[in-house]
Amino acid sequence: MIEVESLYFKYPLANDYVLKNISLKIGLGEVVGIMGGNGSGKTTLIKHFNGLLKPTKGFVKVFGKDTRKESVAYFSKKVGLVFQNPGHQIFSDTVWNEVAFALKNFGFEEEIINKRVKWALEFFNLIQYKDMSPLLLSGGEKKRLCLASVLAWNPDFIILDEPTVGQDFLQKEKLIEIIKMLVTQNKTVIVVSHDVEFIWLLQPRLILISNGIIVKDGDCRSVFKDDSVLEKCGITKPQLVELYEELYPLIERPPVDIVEARSMMLKLLRGLK
Amino acid sequence: MFWLAEGLVYRRQESIIHSLDPRVKLIISLSLFLLSLFSSTIFEFIILLSAIFLLGVLSKVLRRMIKTITFSLTFVIMIFAINLLVGYDLIFSIIISLRFIAIISSSSIFFLTSSPDELDLVMRSLHLPYDLIFAFVTAVRFVPVILLDAVQIIDSQRSRGLEIEKGNIFKRIRNYIPVLIPLIVQSIIRSEELAEAMESRAYGFSKKRTSYYTLHFKRKDYFVLCLNLTLVVLFILLIHLFHL
Amino acid sequence: METLTEIIKFINFSFSYSGSNALILKNINLSIEEGDFVLLVGPSGCGKSTLLRCINGLIPHLYSGVYEGEVIVDGELVKNKSVNELATKVGFVFQNPENQIFMFSVEKDIVFGLENIGLDRNEIDSRLEWVLHALGIEHLRYKPPYELSDGQKQRVAIAGVLAMKPKILILDEPTSLLDPRTALEFILLIKELNRKFGLTIIVVEHRIDLLTNVANRMIVLDKGEIIFNGCLKEVIKNKNLNLYGVNVPPVIALQNYLKDEGLIFNEFYLNVKDFSKEIKRRLIGID
Repeated sequence: MIEVESLYFKYPLANDYVLKNISLKIGLGEVVGIMGGNGSGKTTLIKHFNGLLKPTKGFVKVFGKDTRKESVAYFSKKVGLVFQNPGHQIFSDTVWNEVAFALKNFGFEEEIINKRVKWALEFFNLIQYKDMSPLLLSGGEKKRLCLASVLAWNPDFIILDEPTVGQDFLQKEKLIEIIKMLVTQNKTVIVVSHDVEFIWLLQPRLILISNGIIVKDGDCRSVFKDDSVLEKCGITKPQLVELYEELYPLIERPPVDIVEARSMMLKLLRGLK
Repeated sequence: MFWLAEGLVYRRQESIIHSLDPRVKLIISLSLFLLSLFSSTIFEFIILLSAIFLLGVLSKVLRRMIKTITFSLTFVIMIFAINLLVGYDLIFSIIISLRFIAIISSSSIFFLTSSPDELDLVMRSLHLPYDLIFAFVTAVRFVPVILLDAVQIIDSQRSRGLEIEKGNIFKRIRNYIPVLIPLIVQSIIRSEELAEAMESRAYGFSKKRTSYYTLHFKRKDYFVLCLNLTLVVLFILLIHLFHL
Repeated sequence: METLTEIIKFINFSFSYSGSNALILKNINLSIEEGDFVLLVGPSGCGKSTLLRCINGLIPHLYSGVYEGEVIVDGELVKNKSVNELATKVGFVFQNPENQIFMFSVEKDIVFGLENIGLDRNEIDSRLEWVLHALGIEHLRYKPPYELSDGQKQRVAIAGVLAMKPKILILDEPTSLLDPRTALEFILLIKELNRKFGLTIIVVEHRIDLLTNVANRMIVLDKGEIIFNGCLKEVIKNKNLNLYGVNVPPVIALQNYLKDEGLIFNEFYLNVKDFSKEIKRRLIGID
């Protein structure tokens, strides 16, 4: 469980707070979306979840422990952060070692490391590259590798910063599958993204941030109803929500995906025959 | 993250000093720098440092000037201690330390009040080759960008359990490998992108590259230049004629 | 009817980078007319970036390789023109604006390219005013890059190339770092340039929902070959577009599904509003 209480944050020597009075609780088995305009403070917030940044005022607790009390490594073992740009982490000589890196840092035993790395590479379809330099992978593969290198140590919270940037349709579909699978294992996935269509398909609890303040926190259906808040955060509506609003009251709620939209449309059009 | 460089880097501001021709600012900075180099009594340094701080006040950068000095305080203390240790007397050690402070703060006058673009213009007025000027400007331009990359890389690797400050000295050096490799790779990628963007902006297109910006002394620039010269001469006369 | 001029033409064109046998582009035949707004899509590694670099001459002038066939831009063979000369015909905006702003103020950055092509002071003055106005960035004129937001940086990057008065503007995933509204505003700005100045636009973009209402042509590239090429409205109908990695907007995908169920619409609707209108019309019509 991650608890954030009255969190204020500013960089040393800076005048303005980047985060202001943030309070929230995130439990296990949740999918959480975090959205907001460029520079709203989303990335600054998630860096508090594993202690990379410490609150200027207020506190962040992970499983009851204040993030100021232990090392970043201690919290990272529970809260895995996958940053946007794979180029900011890939350094190993082989794909295998890239995934093993964190496990070694966390002091897992050799045998467990081998088992976990093998599992992660197989899961992400990267096992055939295990002896190759990770720098030779394609953009999409690098992104998968970064995700693999975090899932390998089996953290309870997985935070993904802009996971869909530069990803094509098939890669996104696979990502949604993975996120849903993780949640069935009682893990929590927190997704920071600009991609409204992707976020909608996850049907998460959605947190909107604007100027360092949480302006909305609720299930995504209710959040996407709030026009003024969306406007403030620079967020457009998913097409399926737009469809519902255009057709209101002909359909009772926004369809969660295209399959549901199809059956709604069929019912609507055929029902009148 | 820019707080790291806060005390050292130019910030857009307006003041009497900022609006001067950059060549004048360079000359002021340089004269104070040279005077600091050749001064040798506490009295001289009191005058010089007062002048420097007065300029700091006039250009509204005093706070950041002091920050710069605070950053270099470790060096000052080191210099002071070493001088004492090797057997120089207290007064001499103080003078050496003051000289160091005066040198740092006098050169900071130019850098805190002139944008790198203005330095570019000074170099153009000296007729340096544009390739050299461009290389210098982009180097300065991308220092904070690469610093930001470094911060993000460190964050990434710490999130994967890397503890940079852990272990003995050899272990610590090895700890930097996961930071240095991505930083080098990123910088190479960035330089490739820069090269493409430069080509696409017709860099090196024709031999007759024009210069839109030229520097012209205004009346106040001449005035300040004269004032500077008078004060420098006065200072030297005062010190040497009256042996103050 | 106004006659259309071909501004870009690829004739039996193939390319592979030196040191590699793999053909990145295979036998491309393509012509783009002046004033077109082209959306170029395809899975990562399909050759999109390579294709773009053939248009502005980075290939073969900066990157060498096996170059077969011809690429003609504005009536001239690209291989006979230097990248620098082409810079006044083809403006290229890269994915990361940070890496294409060289100077410490917006004004100076715009001037940089103009000085490079040797324009005199008066011409620079007038282009500067024009470009700042056209992009609505007058208020940013004296700002250094680190005081700009991501959306502003992207505009400044365009200003730098637009000031060179190119006929073609190429944008490589320009909105990938922008939030939805900033991205939308940005695309509308591009459309405005297309309409007002007759600029030919080529955009590579994964978020194609942003572009379905502004682009008129769509090209799908896969493994170095052109799979689809034509009017956007026709190309986007293809059911297996997502096999080529295209993020088909939900409203388009929905119409394809409904078509499979035997529900044929008069037209393919590119946005939710028009589609909903049609649904309502049908319901009321049947009533």
